[in-house]
Amino acid sequence: MTKIDFVQSGGFMGRTIILSLDLDDMPPHQAQTFNLLLDQADFFRLEVDPAKPPVPDSFTYTITVTTDERSHTIHVSDTTAPEQLRPLLLALSARARIR
Amino acid sequence: MHNQRPILCIIPPHMLREISERGTDLQQEKARATMAVSSQIRIQRTSAALTVHMGAAGTPDKHRNIYDAKQGSQLPGTLVRKEGDPPSADLAVNEAYDGSGATYDLFKEIYGRNSIDGNGMSLDSTVHYQKGYDNAFWNGQQMVYGDGDEDLPPSQRLFNRFTAALDVIAHELTHGVTQFEANLAYSFQSGALNESMSDVFGSLVKQRLRSQTAAEADWIIGEGLFTANVNGVGIRSMKAPGTAYNDPILGKDPQPAHMRDYVNTIEDSGGVHINSGIPNHAFYIASIELGGFAWEKAGMIWYKTLADKFNQNSSFQDAANLTVETARELFGSGSIEEKAVIKGWQEVGIIVGAPAGDGCLTAMMRAIGLAK
Ligand SMILES: [Zn+2]
Repeated sequence: MTKIDFVQSGGFMGRTIILSLDLDDMPPHQAQTFNLLLDQADFFRLEVDPAKPPVPDSFTYTITVTTDERSHTIHVSDTTAPEQLRPLLLALSARARIR
Repeated sequence: MHNQRPILCIIPPHMLREISERGTDLQQEKARATMAVSSQIRIQRTSAALTVHMGAAGTPDKHRNIYDAKQGSQLPGTLVRKEGDPPSADLAVNEAYDGSGATYDLFKEIYGRNSIDGNGMSLDSTVHYQKGYDNAFWNGQQMVYGDGDEDLPPSQRLFNRFTAALDVIAHELTHGVTQFEANLAYSFQSGALNESMSDVFGSLVKQRLRSQTAAEADWIIGEGLFTANVNGVGIRSMKAPGTAYNDPILGKDPQPAHMRDYVNTIEDSGGVHINSGIPNHAFYIASIELGGFAWEKAGMIWYKTLADKFNQNSSFQDAANLTVETARELFGSGSIEEKAVIKGWQEVGIIVGAPAGDGCLTAMMRAIGLAK
């Protein structure tokens, strides 16, 4: 089991968007993409300085990934997100924007 | 004016969320104690905030630089237009250039302020930030703009490019001015006040360019950001907070116009873009009371208060007390200006002269359920 919970908050509009993905319920090629992005981000070892407050109007993102063995949560913003995480962040916010 | 109230509003809300969701009773007690101790800490203004802000030292310096991120996230990106260059073929580049110019002009010509830092700092903007980025922000040094939903099929697009609205550009630049002055902490009430300052001067730049009186202006923030697929006139309304949009996908504009509807939340850094409706509306009422061009009197009172009286932790009550104090200093005790500002705050449920209390601490405790 791999679950991704994504919360985007803040921004100029201050709107909160929530997305929950269960990779087991997704078409295999899509699940594979997300698994690759998680690997690329080295997600479970990613540590982000949690004390840095967001800059005005930037989005803040909370990502929690839960598998059978473990769970990890990170909080980042547009200006604090590490490069290795950005492809995952873009994929999640793109998916959250699909209406 | 540099009082000893808490430094609390800089604790990131997500940390509070973790405490409230996962903390044991003991941890919650500890958090409460920590917050109480923090409240003893004196506030130090940053050295940046002490910069001369009236621009007396230099000649006018309007130095605009527009960069292109080419849909990436590296800032600032490639320089594509600098001060004095002819217009670009790229609409977003020209909007960022003209919009930051109009904002510079308001601050310089009306309030005597030479740029963001008061000392001729360059006005830097980056357009085409990322793909499908429905947002704009101030990163502490420069403005950044996304292109909205340009990556989606037209029928699914909700947002246009964020340079399309002049008041959004002026809003972002004003975050820079605030950073160099009061440096209002970006969460809970001080954060909502920070947001409100950006909406106030954002709207004033637009009103001045259109030569509109307070009564003629629409007081909408972000008109033109929504596509025709959205049921809404803009992102916020200072005239009628909570009425800017009501849409099946985006939901309803959540802004309150009165303290009785203040929203206690941890999302959005403690509701900074939500509760800003309250001070926004106070400014609108004061402007309507005074009549004429809002940037002349109400704008001057708000600007002077931001530049000389607010500190990092100023609350709504502080804003009310201090804007009235400024109105008295500028226009005299018992003046119509003083009365208009008092009325503005009164209509949003804030009685001028009440003790400022600990707006930040209370809001924070309420947001995480540790206070009623
Ligand atoms: Zn803002």
